[in-house]
Amino acid sequence: MALSANGRGNGASATVAQRLQKELMDIMTKPTPGITAFPDDENMTVWTATITGPDETPYENLVFKLSMEFAPNYPYSPPTVLYKTPIYHPNVDFSGRICLDVLKDKWSAIYNITTVLLSLQSLLGEPNNSSPLNGQAAELWDKDPVEYKRLVLARHKEPEDLDA
Amino acid sequence: MDHSTLVFASVFPVLSLSHTTPTPIATPDVGHTAPGSSFGSPYAGRNPEAQGQGQHRAIKRNIAWSCATRFLSLPKDLSMVLRLQRNREVDEALAYLLVAEGTSDDGKEESLVDWYTNECRLHFANHVRPGLEELWLREVKLQHAWDVLEETQRILEHVQNAYLQPFNEHLLPLLQQNASGTTLRPTRHTQIATSDAARAADWKFRRDIQAVFAHCLPLQRYSKTLSYVLYDAGCTLFHVYIRQDGVQPAKTPEKERESRQRMTTLLQGLERVGLGGDSAQKAFGHATNKLLDSFITSHYLKVDWYSKQSIVPQLKSWIKDGFCPLVELVLACLRCEQSSILPTEVASWEEMALGRLGRARVDNLFDFVINWDNSLGAILDIKEYLRVLNAKQHLTSSFSQQVSRRLLHPGATTTYILNVYISIIRSFHELEPKGVLLERVARPIRRYLKEREDTARIIISSLLTGLNDETGNKFSSNGELSHEIASEMAKPFANYGQDADEELNWNDMNWQPLPQDASPEYKKSKVEDVIWFLLTLWEREDFINELKNIYGDHLLHCQDPEYEKEIRLLELIKVRLGDDKLQACEVMLRDVLESKRINGTIHTTINAPKATSLVTPDHRNKVPQTPEGLQPRTPQPRRPTRSTQRNLTTPTTASAEPAPTEPTLNAQILSSFFWPQLRDDDFHVPAPISTLQKEYESRFERIKGMRKLRWMNALGTASITLTFVDRSEDFHNLTAWQTSLIYAFQSLPDEAHHSTSDGEGITRTVAQLEEHLAMDPALIHQALSFWVGKSVLRALDSDTYTIIERLPKPSSTLTQSDEHAAAAAEELADLQTATTATTVKSAADMLALKKDVYVAFIMGMLQNQGNMPVGRIAMMMRMMVQGGFPFGVEEVSGLLKELERKGKVINFGGDVWGVRKGA
Repeated sequence: MALSANGRGNGASATVAQRLQKELMDIMTKPTPGITAFPDDENMTVWTATITGPDETPYENLVFKLSMEFAPNYPYSPPTVLYKTPIYHPNVDFSGRICLDVLKDKWSAIYNITTVLLSLQSLLGEPNNSSPLNGQAAELWDKDPVEYKRLVLARHKEPEDLDA
Repeated sequence: MDHSTLVFASVFPVLSLSHTTPTPIATPDVGHTAPGSSFGSPYAGRNPEAQGQGQHRAIKRNIAWSCATRFLSLPKDLSMVLRLQRNREVDEALAYLLVAEGTSDDGKEESLVDWYTNECRLHFANHVRPGLEELWLREVKLQHAWDVLEETQRILEHVQNAYLQPFNEHLLPLLQQNASGTTLRPTRHTQIATSDAARAADWKFRRDIQAVFAHCLPLQRYSKTLSYVLYDAGCTLFHVYIRQDGVQPAKTPEKERESRQRMTTLLQGLERVGLGGDSAQKAFGHATNKLLDSFITSHYLKVDWYSKQSIVPQLKSWIKDGFCPLVELVLACLRCEQSSILPTEVASWEEMALGRLGRARVDNLFDFVINWDNSLGAILDIKEYLRVLNAKQHLTSSFSQQVSRRLLHPGATTTYILNVYISIIRSFHELEPKGVLLERVARPIRRYLKEREDTARIIISSLLTGLNDETGNKFSSNGELSHEIASEMAKPFANYGQDADEELNWNDMNWQPLPQDASPEYKKSKVEDVIWFLLTLWEREDFINELKNIYGDHLLHCQDPEYEKEIRLLELIKVRLGDDKLQACEVMLRDVLESKRINGTIHTTINAPKATSLVTPDHRNKVPQTPEGLQPRTPQPRRPTRSTQRNLTTPTTASAEPAPTEPTLNAQILSSFFWPQLRDDDFHVPAPISTLQKEYESRFERIKGMRKLRWMNALGTASITLTFVDRSEDFHNLTAWQTSLIYAFQSLPDEAHHSTSDGEGITRTVAQLEEHLAMDPALIHQALSFWVGKSVLRALDSDTYTIIERLPKPSSTLTQSDEHAAAAAEELADLQTATTATTVKSAADMLALKKDVYVAFIMGMLQNQGNMPVGRIAMMMRMMVQGGFPFGVEEVSGLLKELERKGKVINFGGDVWGVRKGA
């Protein structure tokens, strides 16, 4: 029993690896500006992604790193995505967890890494203030953009500082 | 006598100091008077009897002593026979001192024998030694060695006789009498107490004398000289002319009998004067050692290059019948305890000699390997040597050294290394059929061959080269083809049927355990199959990939319509590597065979409608005739025949030669999935050809259920005939771009034709050609220089070319310049062809092709994973890139440096790279 379960597990992770490798190839051959992602090691289930903040938002010119973890049944379940760079945002809590519908119940197997990262990039400019994880941010977003920007910059760290 | 000697003598009595000279009669020693006692009775108080007797005895003894010593003392010059007459007085004195009361008691008084011994010593030291020392003072020259030794021996023997004579005549008989009489008298020396006391005294005397002799000679110099003399005698006896001492043998060799006699005499004489002994035996040991070496390097044991036999039996018989008798003779002369030679000793000498012979051979093993199989004799010698202890280790290490010094360096071409490797395989198979040694010595060579880029190419193309059709200069030593491999290929091969699981085959009745010295990687190879060794140089997959490339290239260029050799090679490799892996090659082979069939079918379908449908023939007739029809007077280059090979998505084309005026087209249809990456330069082929291509395509689609063809023009070859004003020339096996280019020099229909019959051909510039043909400029230049080289085109200036319609008359300056230009261009063209001729893409091309993707990978990696060393980047690339990343750290470094120049990445020192901020 355990054996067969293992076997299935291996087979599944092999297909995930194949799928992820193909996605990697796609990202590399057709890069999307402002978005990159790369696996952490050879088993491909953990990735690090980088997105840059969209222009004309408080996150302009800032670079954010994220970690993505893929379950063995990916793409039938969403990847677990966390911000590794501290970010001040209505839909991200202070430990980097993200509240985004496509990463939860609205996930579909047609999404891929690039679309997930694009969604996250657009979330930076258009937060969903109706269900915030960070109430203060949601409030300030409309009320006091200057203060909001200041808090964003105060919380942000460059990737190099993170590594250090 | 200096003070220090006296001090020393006071502690350690030196005989020569206390030695008494013969005392005169008149001065008897009465002893000292002790203080406090009356004169004349020194011992009165203690033991009157003994004292009286003692006193009497002392006087008597002194008188006798004086008499005997005077009688025995040695004259200065020993050759003087004059001697004191032995008279009664002397007799009595001797008898008294030697056997009666006068014998020394308790070692207090000196015995007469001791005195005489001392006398001899002193005499020797004073009168003989200086002469001898002079003889031995300097180093003994080799040519004087015999004389010095003989002279020494003569002097010593003479002296010894002189010393021994009085001893034997006067002292020894008395001692013998005494010994034969009662032996109750207790004496100091236990050996004297025995019945052969006299013999013992004799032995002791001789020993003492000989010790003095031996002592006066410089021991080391003596034994060296003796050793040389023995060596010299040995060399003469065995007629060994190449000697270690560098002495040139006499022009007329001495008679060996004389030499033997001289040696025997000398040795016996030396033994008589006590110079035999240990030092002589040691010297003889040295001499035999050198003699063995000399004999082994002598002409007797030269490698047998003619009858290719081992010379070990000769060596053994020499040891038995030449060397042993000599040793026996010498030992007999030296009177060694054991003068007969045991069989075990003979055996050990044989082994020793074999070991030396083997080492001497192994030192040149590399030369023997290169000259295999003329060197069979030497290899057989070494084979015998391998039985000696540690021989294998020595061979392995020595040969590895030779190989790394003489073979594995950049100066040796890969072909040469391969040829030597094959020789090694063959000769070591003879040396040790089990292959353990081969495996060991070949390891560095195999590793080195693997590193060379061209190894696989040379092996495979050599395998594909026939011996018979390609003989001659193609197999020169620096060429790209190995004659050895090709000839190996020509050998018939049996189905070796090597089971992969031989160890698990329980029914194998011939099973044998692995040799005990085999290494873990040792694989049993039952056959001396050179190709098997070559094919297993790489991992199977690597080799097959390389094979695919070369095989594909070869198939496309193959002239043999039956592909006989290619089929054979594939079968051969299948036998060795297993047929499951060679699927791609099989498909490639089937493609070309099938193409032939399809070509046939298509040609018949083309020809059949020719009769009925007007359209097709029209097409075909029109094209070739256009230029001629319009310009019958000005002959144009025309290419009536061309054969083109094309490569298509699934298929390709080749072409045959039809009737001279009509181009024909044959295609090779290749299954793109199975073939390696092929050249795919795009350019316009001549119009008639593209028409044919279209036609072919439609026929093909009809036959093959609408499968599409993609033409790969760069792979084509053509045969054409060019017709000029004054001549016409045939060309075969041209590349498609060369053909297309020369076709472009044909006048276009709309072009006004001003080339009149003055011999001026059509002129084109490079820019025109580029536009017209849509061809890569590099290819254009290559093709242009090819045609200039063939004296078809002439360069007007650097990028304008014209047809040479009329060859200028010889001797005109134009001819010369044309010839020069042609020669230069031909060379250039050859060079360029060498680099562009391959149909399969090289690794460098692949890298250039996929550079963008690789760069994207590197950038993505550095951006997301932070800074990384080159090694890790390369490793990640190998794991991540789909379809594999067949490059290493070097290529990655190259890419990184390129990125650095563009300002995208930055080197953080060492190997570590990272993304440049703000890039």
